[in-house]
Amino acid sequence: MPSEKLPEPKSSAGASPVRYAGATKRYPGSAKAAVEDLTLEVPAGEICVLVGPSGCGKTTAMRMVNRTVEMTEGDILIGEQSVRERNPAQLRREIGYVIQQIGLFPHRTIAENIAAVPQLLGWKKERAAARSAELLALVGLDPDLANRYPAQLSGGQQQRVGVARALAADPLVMLMDEPFGAIDPINRERLQNEFLRLQAEIGKTVLFVTHDIDEAIKMGDRIAIMREGGKVAQYATPAELLMDPADEFVEDFVGADRALKRLALMRVGDIDLWKAPLAQVGQATAEVRAELEGAEVPYPLLVDGKRRPLGWLSERDLAGEQVPQRPDSPLGPLLDRDDVMRDALADLLQGEAQYAAVVDHEGRIDGVLSVEIISEFLSSPKAKIEEQSATERPHG
Amino acid sequence: MASVTTLAAVGQVGKGFIHERTSETLPCQATNKLFCWDWAKENIDRYGTPTLQHLELVGLAVLFGFTIAFTLAVLAYRRRWLRSPLLAATGVLYTIPSVAFFFLLLPLTGRGVDTAVIALTAFNLQVIYRNTIIGLSNVPASVKEAARGIGQTDRQILWRVELPLATREIIAGLRIATVSTVAIATLAVFAGGGGLGAPILQGGIDFKTNIIIAGGIAILMALAFDLILLTIQRLATPWERAART
Repeated sequence: MPSEKLPEPKSSAGASPVRYAGATKRYPGSAKAAVEDLTLEVPAGEICVLVGPSGCGKTTAMRMVNRTVEMTEGDILIGEQSVRERNPAQLRREIGYVIQQIGLFPHRTIAENIAAVPQLLGWKKERAAARSAELLALVGLDPDLANRYPAQLSGGQQQRVGVARALAADPLVMLMDEPFGAIDPINRERLQNEFLRLQAEIGKTVLFVTHDIDEAIKMGDRIAIMREGGKVAQYATPAELLMDPADEFVEDFVGADRALKRLALMRVGDIDLWKAPLAQVGQATAEVRAELEGAEVPYPLLVDGKRRPLGWLSERDLAGEQVPQRPDSPLGPLLDRDDVMRDALADLLQGEAQYAAVVDHEGRIDGVLSVEIISEFLSSPKAKIEEQSATERPHG
Repeated sequence: MASVTTLAAVGQVGKGFIHERTSETLPCQATNKLFCWDWAKENIDRYGTPTLQHLELVGLAVLFGFTIAFTLAVLAYRRRWLRSPLLAATGVLYTIPSVAFFFLLLPLTGRGVDTAVIALTAFNLQVIYRNTIIGLSNVPASVKEAARGIGQTDRQILWRVELPLATREIIAGLRIATVSTVAIATLAVFAGGGGLGAPILQGGIDFKTNIIIAGGIAILMALAFDLILLTIQRLATPWERAART
């Protein structure tokens, strides 16, 4: 489906892979290294989440990339170039940087905040202003906010500005240090979704630090689970991590609710849905009854002329000659093919419904999801394969 | 003691300041009421020169004080170990009574504006230094980290982020320094620096109208400086007002 076109970043430099080659950080006077001999490759255009308990060195590992923390041994390459060969300030201007506390400049307007890096790079005023406006739109903010000050914005809006500032000079790599950690849960989810949508457009190489495994699973193309000393316990796709935890540490960290987490990785349309017998208003009930024989779903679903579901027909509805106008049972939860499976399960459980109709983008019936399908899916070995194919699709 | 004799000597001369224009003593002047309008009308122009001198003293002392204290503060902000010694040093200068300072300086710099300005400048340092340090220290760490993370150099962080965000405290320090300097500069007359202290001393401290005029000009001057600096602070920090709306 041709979604509304987002503004292409002008003079797009694309993305570069990031390679840690035995990167080590030792703080003087500390026996243990904060990060020890870290070797890791983040392919260009992917989101790599560094996740682990506090004190595991994930932030240190991330900050060695833009040299806000200087590594003591080893190297980090962006593309083919070592960050050690670069002037730190100049290097940082090519790397987007988003932090949990946002750190917008309180004395600068939103437009000026976004244009901070272009300004450092010596862009002309008009070009920087145009870029600001473009990014404001890209992160979904009202253009009227351009001349406000950060204190006049909500936390969620401020973090959108933070992301826009990081993207302003079209960086090769983005570093995001718990970017949504200080945002309330509802807005956090919205910001996560927005960022994934954005990433699908811009395809940056992103290093994303979080302590929240759920966020890691949601955001990451790859996840590096880290343990104390900056050691990587496992580096894998979210699905691999959930199916085959490398060791007990990873298993514990991922949590006992792994099965449920897997559901967060797939969408309703990724699974084989059941077919419900369909009925239309005025149709002979005998015909409907005939279809019920041997159907996967024991109730007929009433649909309109465009195959949009209206409700479920009960025994009483089928007592007459013709299918009545108003079905006896309401439709209950209505799902979209693109809904995340975990949310779909929640809808089913919350609606105390056995079945939920699933529709496509035009609202036409596509199939029926039941709790039974989900539980069967989770217990079948097939799950692994399907899940992986699900995560390999680009986000959004 | 030197100061007492000086005071007495100037006091003698002072009789002239009060009387020299009118041959006869005005009625209200004789009764020394709270305020003698007739005398004031006739003599107000004679406060012009002392007022200008006073402005010069305050202006120079605040300018030099700010330049020195600001530089020291920025230096000490970068090199933490300098902070306490500099705070102690400026603290000592702040505590020395101004009149004592004048007499200490007299053998070195002689009587005149220089001596007065040096002492007043020394007096100013502490407040400006301390407020600048406080202002810089109050800049949120997250803002500094972001500034560094997006590729600003230390110098750029200082001039584009830290100092603008410290404006409020820096100017607050400047306001206190300026207002106190206006008051203390009335003592500059003991160093031979003139100012509004001159008519007070020369006119004799027992003629109320004279004290009220000279003192009143000093108060107005302090208020005016304060208002100007407050206005500058408001204009320089538009984001602070925006944050409250």
